[in-house]
Amino acid sequence: MAIGIVDMEALISGLPGVEHARRDDGRVVALPSTIEQVAAVTRAVNDHGLTIEIGGSSTKRGWGNPVRADLLLNMQRLAGVREHRWQDLTATVGAGTPWTAMQRELAKHGQFVALDPLWPEHARVGGVIATNDSGALRMSYGSLRDLIIGMTIVLADGTIAKTGGKVVKNVAGYDLHKLMTGAFGTLGVIAEVTFRLHPLPAHTQMWSATSRDPDVLAFLMTKVTESRMNLRAMQLRASLQGCALDIELSSLPEVIASQVDRLNVLVRGCGGTCHVQENLSGDLFAAREQVFGHDVVVKITMLHTAIAGLVHDVVQLGGSAVAQASGVLWAGFRESTAVNALPYLYQYVERARGVMTVMQAREQRQPEWAFWPQRSGTAELMRRVKRQFDPKSTLNPGRVMGGI
Amino acid sequence: MSVRMPELDAEILGRRDRIVTALRSIVPGEGVIAGEREMRPYETDGLTAYRQLPMVVVLPETTQQVAEVLRYCHDEGIKVVPRGAGTSLSGGALPLGDGVLLGMAKFNRIREIDFENRVAVVEPGVTNLAVTNAVAHAGFYYAPDPSSQIACTIGGNVAENAGGAHCLKYGFTTTHVLGMDVVLPTGEMVTVGSMVPDAPGYDLTGVFVGSEGTLGVATKIVLRIVERPETVQVLLAAFDSIAQAGQTVSDVIAAGMLPAAMEIMDRLSAHASEQAAHPNYPVCEALLLIELDGIAVEVDAQMAQVRRLCEKNGASEVRLAQSAQERALIWKGRKAAFAAMGRISPNYIVQDGVIPRTALPEVLEKIGQMAAEVKLRVANVFHAGDGNLHPMVLYDQAIPGQEEIALDLSYRILYLCVDHGGSITGEHGVGKEKQQAMGYMYSEPDLETMQRVRHAFDPENIANPDKVFPRTKLCGEKTGPYTPHPLEKAGVAEFF
Repeated sequence: MAIGIVDMEALISGLPGVEHARRDDGRVVALPSTIEQVAAVTRAVNDHGLTIEIGGSSTKRGWGNPVRADLLLNMQRLAGVREHRWQDLTATVGAGTPWTAMQRELAKHGQFVALDPLWPEHARVGGVIATNDSGALRMSYGSLRDLIIGMTIVLADGTIAKTGGKVVKNVAGYDLHKLMTGAFGTLGVIAEVTFRLHPLPAHTQMWSATSRDPDVLAFLMTKVTESRMNLRAMQLRASLQGCALDIELSSLPEVIASQVDRLNVLVRGCGGTCHVQENLSGDLFAAREQVFGHDVVVKITMLHTAIAGLVHDVVQLGGSAVAQASGVLWAGFRESTAVNALPYLYQYVERARGVMTVMQAREQRQPEWAFWPQRSGTAELMRRVKRQFDPKSTLNPGRVMGGI
Repeated sequence: MSVRMPELDAEILGRRDRIVTALRSIVPGEGVIAGEREMRPYETDGLTAYRQLPMVVVLPETTQQVAEVLRYCHDEGIKVVPRGAGTSLSGGALPLGDGVLLGMAKFNRIREIDFENRVAVVEPGVTNLAVTNAVAHAGFYYAPDPSSQIACTIGGNVAENAGGAHCLKYGFTTTHVLGMDVVLPTGEMVTVGSMVPDAPGYDLTGVFVGSEGTLGVATKIVLRIVERPETVQVLLAAFDSIAQAGQTVSDVIAAGMLPAAMEIMDRLSAHASEQAAHPNYPVCEALLLIELDGIAVEVDAQMAQVRRLCEKNGASEVRLAQSAQERALIWKGRKAAFAAMGRISPNYIVQDGVIPRTALPEVLEKIGQMAAEVKLRVANVFHAGDGNLHPMVLYDQAIPGQEEIALDLSYRILYLCVDHGGSITGEHGVGKEKQQAMGYMYSEPDLETMQRVRHAFDPENIANPDKVFPRTKLCGEKTGPYTPHPLEKAGVAEFF
């Protein structure tokens, strides 16, 4: 590392307007407050052959391969809703805006970005996008790739580029914002984002069925999926303590009422003992956050007909799981159970044509628990894309896949 | 419209016989077409004003052949233009006189349908409508519905990120493509995305869809299929002004509804469609078509609300289609709008711009003024829900100079869209037609950043090289504002 040769603090102090701080561990944090300042930082660091780790509130810093860079680039000062064209259902937001703060602003006009990421009070827009996080709302509104219509990005060499625009429908040029979504900041720094918005639903109702047997609920989940109901969100959560199928309905009140009746009929036909609760309050869909209380967390994506069935296995292996109807499952294990669980899951998922990614692993991580899938036919192409965007590997070096 | 193409590469043409022989060794039999008469059907696409015979046409049948053709062209520095059904309205499949035209028509099989998981795996030469027809018996359909859906292929839809009237609710091609087998312009075969969500690493599927044949050729595509809604209702409302119809669209959205489609036709386009398809449209300044779908009770309640909003905004007539037949007739009229222009004008240019929905009244008024200034008529149809305009500039080629004026007007309409925060294309693509307008919408660093993606996929710049970007860029070459080609300056060639 060239840190001995270049005084990072002096380098950043030389950039007009860019504030910085030195952390206890001696590392320098740059805190730009404009897009131009972000560009000045990346350009200066890139020119000197040094490296940058991009961050916001660090809620997902443990995701992906660990990065040890010369400078921390903190985006939290690029915060705020820049423009809310509520009549057009679009909004442009600074990447450093905390998710909930953004939603509060948009709610003034009864709208929201239809996504429920982890730790929304703290997580910031840029980080949610860079990690392509999504929750249970995905089954009805899609994931970030369906909700982002434009972006301003800063490349390692200081290039500021806009992609997409402020209109929902637009096929001019490449969808670079899709490339940035889920790239973990390895291709560029996300500085500003334009979302397509949805109206907040007028009427919703929670419904939940609990059981000791995850397979009973998995069966019920399949039946509900086939039932043409107005599902806004659905998840199957399970641990050794018990399991629940949580459903949020959204429609006119009379429609919701009749669909709740139908749900209760489906429960009676599913063959097991279930206990039903209606009108629950509290955010059951934040259950994913509890999974992250474990030492080791994996994300598994499979065909959605197969996802619920895997919940049983996770519980048998001593873990907790949240399975979303869109085909995504999050499973958490204690260190001691993970040793046996992960090899089993790797095999199971591969046979089922799914994908498993380790999202979080504490310090004592086993070497074979690679964060990313080991075999990928596209890694070479991704490497080429990285080389074009960031030839010196300045931004979040090695964070994704096998060290891209 | 006469368009002269860029000068051909004499060195490549000098090797033509050798190239044809080499291609024949890869794709045997009738898969290589080199005779002028036989190549004639490939000289143009949906943008018929642009014509160019390719150097040679290749129609591979297997992914292996596609890979070998591309590897050969990559190694030999030969340009390749991929083609589906050739329905592009922006010249996306327009051949190059010194390039290979790679037709994907023989990839026409539906490989797998999984109703439980709601996916269909198809080859790129399968038509859009064929996907729906293959899954209809089980109550499913393929949602993107470009007006050319009878003819256009999934491969072309992927290249153009095709839309249609129903993208307001259901999204575009990119929303419905989960993964693909792709042959890169280097001849390498990769699988991007898959049947399951969130393939790890970069979203290569997302950047490939809509790349207009510049990043490679898809040979197998995993599509999402959608369950038919329980109920569909279509309402027609007649208004005395576009502003009233536009306000109704905004009010419907503001009320929290997401219709399957909201279309506006102005007097001129409704009149032309009436003549062409006889949909029995009411005579009015602005015709609003709203389609709602979903579960019956909900659709009934929402439709009542839509009616109230139409009436509040002064609709002179509100008509709900009473049968599937009536609904089909209403849509037939709307989908006939482009072709119907031929009944009221000898020639016309179809444009495709996008504006924020709220800018609709202002932009339409300005288009009216601009048209009046040059004494031309512009008919308008639009996907009003998402602000996608299709102005049609009517003119007469027989009147000297009028075509140039019409073309100029059609481009100025696009720039007007950009000035209002919109886009130069909502669904037809940039292709050959709008490559210079890209420089108006995006700055130099924006375009340069897109080029980085292109270089990663296609280092030799052989895949559809003369499309999308303002002018052909080589790796490392600086992007810049549009500069006239020397031939253009000398008055020898024109670029549009």
